[in-house]
Amino acid sequence: MTNAEARILDGLNESQRVAVTAADGPLMVVAGPGTGKTLTIVRRIAYLIHQGIRPEHILAVTFTNRAAQEMRERTVTLPGKDAAKAFIGTFHMMGLQIVRDNTPHDFVICTRSDQVDLLRAILKDKAHGRKANETAETISRIKNFLEDGDEETRAVYDQYQAALLENNAFDLDDLILKPIGMLRDASILQGYRDRFRYIIVDEYQDINPAQYRLLRLFAGDSGNICVVGDADQAIYAFRGADVTNFLNFENDFQGAGRITLSHNYRSTATIVNASDMMIQNNARRIARTVCPVREGGAPITVASVPDERAEAALVVSEIEARIGGTSHYWLMNEPHRQDYPDSAYSFSDFAVIYRTNAQAEIIKEVFRASGIPFQVIGSRRLSEERTFSDSIETLKGRAANIDKEKLEKAFSMEELIRRALNELGVEDDNLLCRLLMSIIPSNDASTVQNFNDAMKMVRLLLPSDDFDPKADSVALMTLHMAKGLEFKVVFIAGTEDGLIPYLRDGHDDAEEERRLFYVGMTRAKEELFLLHARSRFLYGKKTNPQPSPFVREIPGAFTRTITVPDKAKKRHQKQMKLF
Amino acid sequence: MLYKLSMRFIADLHIHSSYSRATSKDMVPEALWKWAQIKGITVAGTGDFTHPAWLTELNEKTEPTGDGLLRLKREFEADDIPASCRADVFFVLSSEISTIYSKNGRTRKVHSVIFVPQISDALKLNLALSKIGNLNADGRPILGLDAKELLRIVLDACPQALFVPAHVWTPHFSVLGAVSGFDSLEECFEDLTPRIRAIETGLSSDPAMNWRLSALDRLTLVSNSDAHSPAKMGREANILDADISYESIKKAIETGDGFLGTIEFFPEEGKYHYDGHRACGVNLAPGETIKNDYLCPACGKKVTVGVLHRVEKLADRAHGFKPDGAKPFHSLIPLPEIIAETHGTGVASKKVEREYLKLIYELGNEFRILMDAPLPDIERAGSPLIREAISRVRDGKVNIVPGFDGEYGKIRIFEVEERKQIKGQTMLF
Repeated sequence: MTNAEARILDGLNESQRVAVTAADGPLMVVAGPGTGKTLTIVRRIAYLIHQGIRPEHILAVTFTNRAAQEMRERTVTLPGKDAAKAFIGTFHMMGLQIVRDNTPHDFVICTRSDQVDLLRAILKDKAHGRKANETAETISRIKNFLEDGDEETRAVYDQYQAALLENNAFDLDDLILKPIGMLRDASILQGYRDRFRYIIVDEYQDINPAQYRLLRLFAGDSGNICVVGDADQAIYAFRGADVTNFLNFENDFQGAGRITLSHNYRSTATIVNASDMMIQNNARRIARTVCPVREGGAPITVASVPDERAEAALVVSEIEARIGGTSHYWLMNEPHRQDYPDSAYSFSDFAVIYRTNAQAEIIKEVFRASGIPFQVIGSRRLSEERTFSDSIETLKGRAANIDKEKLEKAFSMEELIRRALNELGVEDDNLLCRLLMSIIPSNDASTVQNFNDAMKMVRLLLPSDDFDPKADSVALMTLHMAKGLEFKVVFIAGTEDGLIPYLRDGHDDAEEERRLFYVGMTRAKEELFLLHARSRFLYGKKTNPQPSPFVREIPGAFTRTITVPDKAKKRHQKQMKLF
Repeated sequence: MLYKLSMRFIADLHIHSSYSRATSKDMVPEALWKWAQIKGITVAGTGDFTHPAWLTELNEKTEPTGDGLLRLKREFEADDIPASCRADVFFVLSSEISTIYSKNGRTRKVHSVIFVPQISDALKLNLALSKIGNLNADGRPILGLDAKELLRIVLDACPQALFVPAHVWTPHFSVLGAVSGFDSLEECFEDLTPRIRAIETGLSSDPAMNWRLSALDRLTLVSNSDAHSPAKMGREANILDADISYESIKKAIETGDGFLGTIEFFPEEGKYHYDGHRACGVNLAPGETIKNDYLCPACGKKVTVGVLHRVEKLADRAHGFKPDGAKPFHSLIPLPEIIAETHGTGVASKKVEREYLKLIYELGNEFRILMDAPLPDIERAGSPLIREAISRVRDGKVNIVPGFDGEYGKIRIFEVEERKQIKGQTMLF
């Protein structure tokens, strides 16, 4: 074994090593939470390069800019000449590349809000835009599912496409759909097949029919396609990402191999085993064993609280207990202090996860009052919490009206982005610049060459890009946003029947909801809290929910239950004055 | 303008406004102005400039002096200040920030006081900090930020800013504290350590304790009240001889040139002087704590290690060492506490208030009474018992049961018998 090879395989367990070194041909890597999925992917890229594959022939696609960025950063630190030349990006980035390669003129990308604006004009929807929003959703479904749509929708669809054409624009879904059309040309298709000879797909369980079609075209019938994913973490059925594609991989690609990564390095044995027992209630999955590497662990806390405010208050007080109090005031409260005397927590070790954004309001309110720093991921409801999203929106909004001439001649990528931001008048340019620089592959000169390209990349930003791992604050987010993240201590709020599983129009997709809950549980490294309120005010109604049936599926041996009694009366504190 | 000339004055630079947690509603600009005069403070920190509402209030009620300080607008000045105390009062924009983060395997909680010359500087810094945390929740905001990063951000936003680690020995919230601090400033501020030119000693330590660490020799030891209510202003403070301008005050603090010394609590009176466990009423000297293996002898929980213990642990010099150029300091007890002691009553009693006002009206501000007023004058305006009490405080002849684990120390100037005796003597005349 050469030195470089030893470094590439260093620290891998047996199944990871097999996945990294597996020979040509289709391969499915079943990778549960915390099993070293990203590690395996980046080592596989390095190993391919080490075997003499040219980096330009490698395509690695994932779903979020965050994941793509992490993969790029980790790949370039491994042995392998020109590893940065491998295409590592999101599906949208890949689609954008193909559309650009095959579109003779420049174009713009329109975001969801642009789409809604176009549709409002088409539908003459002068009210609050609800109809336009719904239609945008339907059109997105048609594009993602590769459906035809009903006649009525089809008419609007055609008008909408005409409007896009007129504006020389593509929407985000077009970045997948258009390439599928472009690849009908055999010579173009052959060009890409020659280029992308080794394909790695991350989070394959979240792939939708359009993305599947595109990959299928690249890979051919028995191509070198390695998909990595976990059927138990498929949570995007509503966007057309049916777990079926994952389950069918071995039928779709003849002679596909399968490797299961079963060692969980992230969570305590308690969390690994408890979540595994819970998810086994799903029928549509690939049976697999999980082996927690870490032993023991604190029991999962199932907390019953009087209402949503008490729920948030309990979260805050548990965080304070671990931080050791944020004020002298708190320390005067004897029962809590010294619980965690030798701890090393910072605020970014905690996450509060919930099913719906509607739950976030009261949690934010209680956090705001506590003074504990927090960030809300993927939400931009309140102006006082100016986050990435706000800046991204500002940037997207103004991108269309910018004087681009000034920016065309920027020499470096950094310069380009800085100038773009200055030109846009974005106030928090430090923060946003850091974000953009990390998302845009700085050494891939072909992706971003001028200002317009930079603006296109900005338009690919997602709500999940909100998350700033460098901001030392408690993360508040929905279960959907939590995918791919990990925290020492996780609080799942509102583990109640009706919220988890979420009841929509009187029915729920129990298996999808169970997977969502599974994703939430498996974010926790050390401690997990599952909170349910006995009374909750939600969507303007007071309810008395039952605990989530999924919580009951966790064997009692893994949990401890605490009950916060109904409110006690507050004692008023007197202030001493001299005068 | 007269106040521009170099003069000796007292400055209390770290206080909190009503926008901070657990702070009196009375902490408004008018009250700060009034109480500064009663106490004898010429320059007071505004506190809390990071809080948008407080900064707005300051902007509305004060005006810049042109020298990097603020003064109360005339229309907000009250006319009920005792003539004996009336004096000019200036404010310097100050704020305390709580940084909570994890470094080198431990949770760190470090408080720092920041000074800037202009409201525009405060706004600029607030803009930078508002991206990191919520400045609206508390006048002393909590940021999930490395203290070193905070220093960097402050200096970037305002190069004229002064950054002083707050009450550096407090166990839970300070740079050298036993529970969540560091063993040296270098461990916390790394390559930016040279930018730290002063530290605040806090109530539970006095300069003599700090002299035992040679690493602190290069720093100016400042003292402030950290007051949460007007009457607590000036319980610790600094004595300067400088122009009354931001630049001169900053220079005096950074170089020691023009910094005459400090006014201090007796450190034993501070809340964290000794070790112990408040819930069990266990108060331990550092040696006893070690003997008990850092556990409460009553309940077996870990005791809170206080300031004296922490200083001894980090000290590289013997007790009593005094470095060259060390600034002198006055150990005082707030006048209301002294008066209360003469009566054997609580500070909040009517009797204490009456006597306090009488002394202030006749003799001038509190610092003048505690430090400078001739003893016969004090006796005339007050009582022989007060005269004797102040005389003993000035000579340091007081008994204090040291504070521990959040509980203030208990002062005893007189034994019960003594008090009767002195009272009795006066009855004879």
